[in-house]
Amino acid sequence: MIKKNLKYILPILFPLIIILLPADSFGLAGLTLVEQRVMAIFVMAALCWVMEPIPIYATSVLIIVLELLLISDHGLWFATNGTPQLQGHLLSQSDIMATFASPIIMLFLGGFFLAIASTKYRLDINLARVLLRPFGHQPKYVMLGIMLITAVFSMFMSNTATTAMMLSILTPVLALFGDKDSGKVAFALSVPVAANIGGIATPIGTPPNAVALKYLVNENSISFAEWMAMGVPFVAVMLLLAWLLLNHLFPASVNAIKLDIEGTFLKTPKAWLVYGTFLLTIILWLLGDLHGMSSYVVAMLPVAIFSIFNIISKEDLKHISWDVLWLVSGGIALGLALDKTGLAARTIEAIPFHHFHPLVLIVGASMLCLLMANFMSNTASANLLLPLVATLGASMHSLLPYGGQMVLILSVTFAASLGMSLPVSTPPNALAYASGHIRSSQMLKVGVILGLSGLMISFSMFFVLHQLDIILG
Amino acid sequence: MEKINIICVDDDREILEAVNRDLSFFSEMFTIEECQSAEQCEQLLETFDAQQEYVALIISGHFLPVKSGVALLTEVAIDSRFIGTKKILLTGHATQADTIKAINSAKVDGFLAKAWDSDQLIQMVKELLTQFILEKGIEYEPFIKKLDAPTLYRLLKS
Repeated sequence: MIKKNLKYILPILFPLIIILLPADSFGLAGLTLVEQRVMAIFVMAALCWVMEPIPIYATSVLIIVLELLLISDHGLWFATNGTPQLQGHLLSQSDIMATFASPIIMLFLGGFFLAIASTKYRLDINLARVLLRPFGHQPKYVMLGIMLITAVFSMFMSNTATTAMMLSILTPVLALFGDKDSGKVAFALSVPVAANIGGIATPIGTPPNAVALKYLVNENSISFAEWMAMGVPFVAVMLLLAWLLLNHLFPASVNAIKLDIEGTFLKTPKAWLVYGTFLLTIILWLLGDLHGMSSYVVAMLPVAIFSIFNIISKEDLKHISWDVLWLVSGGIALGLALDKTGLAARTIEAIPFHHFHPLVLIVGASMLCLLMANFMSNTASANLLLPLVATLGASMHSLLPYGGQMVLILSVTFAASLGMSLPVSTPPNALAYASGHIRSSQMLKVGVILGLSGLMISFSMFFVLHQLDIILG
Repeated sequence: MEKINIICVDDDREILEAVNRDLSFFSEMFTIEECQSAEQCEQLLETFDAQQEYVALIISGHFLPVKSGVALLTEVAIDSRFIGTKKILLTGHATQADTIKAINSAKVDGFLAKAWDSDQLIQMVKELLTQFILEKGIEYEPFIKKLDAPTLYRLLKS
């Protein structure tokens, strides 16, 4: 009974203990009341995201509301009337509320508009049909085509929606495989694997990237094109590796595969407008240096265009994944509180990280993120780890020869997307597992190999880029 | 996890038991209720509505005492509280007129002859439950083991 309710008890109990203990019991000199409350909120968030007593986006909302109540300048009376020295620095209510509409959230909103419009006007399925054609009928190459297309789509659409679409295309094909043909496993696994990996390639590919953008500021700020310049080669190498691995582990015994995708491109004026806007937005994202608009500003163009021309209707608006946006907002709010109250810096100072070799830190933090992302939401993992990692990166000068804060943040972010060894790791994994063609042991094997080798590949890539002075420390 | 119910209606106990046996595949995550008349089913619907529980599916025979299965399903079809509830008619010898009514008025989602094939029934229920869950915007993840994957892929857009 207690065990069953542990997921409800612990997220309440531990934060309460933290808040009720005297401020000097944490071994952090000069800890203020506000910092202590942020610590309690952080522990609550971590426990809620790990144990999931409530939906993960609800945890985010809870973070924001608790911050408003306990550490904002317009919070509860007893939380704001302490002596300034003991109480510490309160955050302004508008800063906390603004996390709901931070530029990063707007970037994602723009991405959602593009994705919804392209699904509605069948751009996705029609592109898939045309792009799959050159890959012929040999199972190996059909799978390569499927993986490439899945990866490219998941750079701009949600990984889940891409997976659902591609698995839907594959369903009739999978039914044709013999019961004993292991090629079925390879195909069913290829889609979630490619979707999880593909999300890494662009800032809007997957929510952990959005969280990372929040911490890549000032001299570390990164443009859409710069992100892709690192993300796309990484994704390409990972896809090749995944393709070879799947073909090696689960070879297909059928000789030819025929994908039957019906349809033609829509040619109505609205459809043309969707194609044009899609292309324009991507080009503007890539050419950020030429026109001066940030990727956040560019993201508002499809929002405006699709609304004006009723391409995204009132009804479509309701289908935007607000839960994803709120999940990221909560992460941003958590990072804001850790940073602005000074708790993150104080905690990092108290732990003797400078004794560690910087590579140990990069590898350790990425491994921890990979492990967490396998068992919980990728975004929640990034939400919890990135604020700490960013503070650590900013304070550690020994990291500079290895690319500094940026490499640390990007390694951890990439690791968040590489957690894919269990059906519960990501929604694409769950969908593919539901097809009934994959055993969880098979998913585990592929996921562990790709996760670990993905970390190695990302470390070596960042190392090389740093040596070439492309990433400045 | 949301409470989702399946109601089976038939005055023949053997039929009810047979349906229930087939549906035991779903009983881990869905509640399966048995009724022997349309009136009993209506009472049950009221109860579920009062408790704000979902009724995903009604599987009903046609020849029932007092009120027929098609009449019952027609009432459900026009009741705004049960928009989206899926309906299967299970019948041995319905006339053509009954069948026409079942489609035009009761808007049945499935038609099953008595002496049905278990796998066919399970597959039909799987598909209808998947549709119901996605149409209602219920989180599908907890139920995913009992849903029909191809239907899920087809309907999942975000």
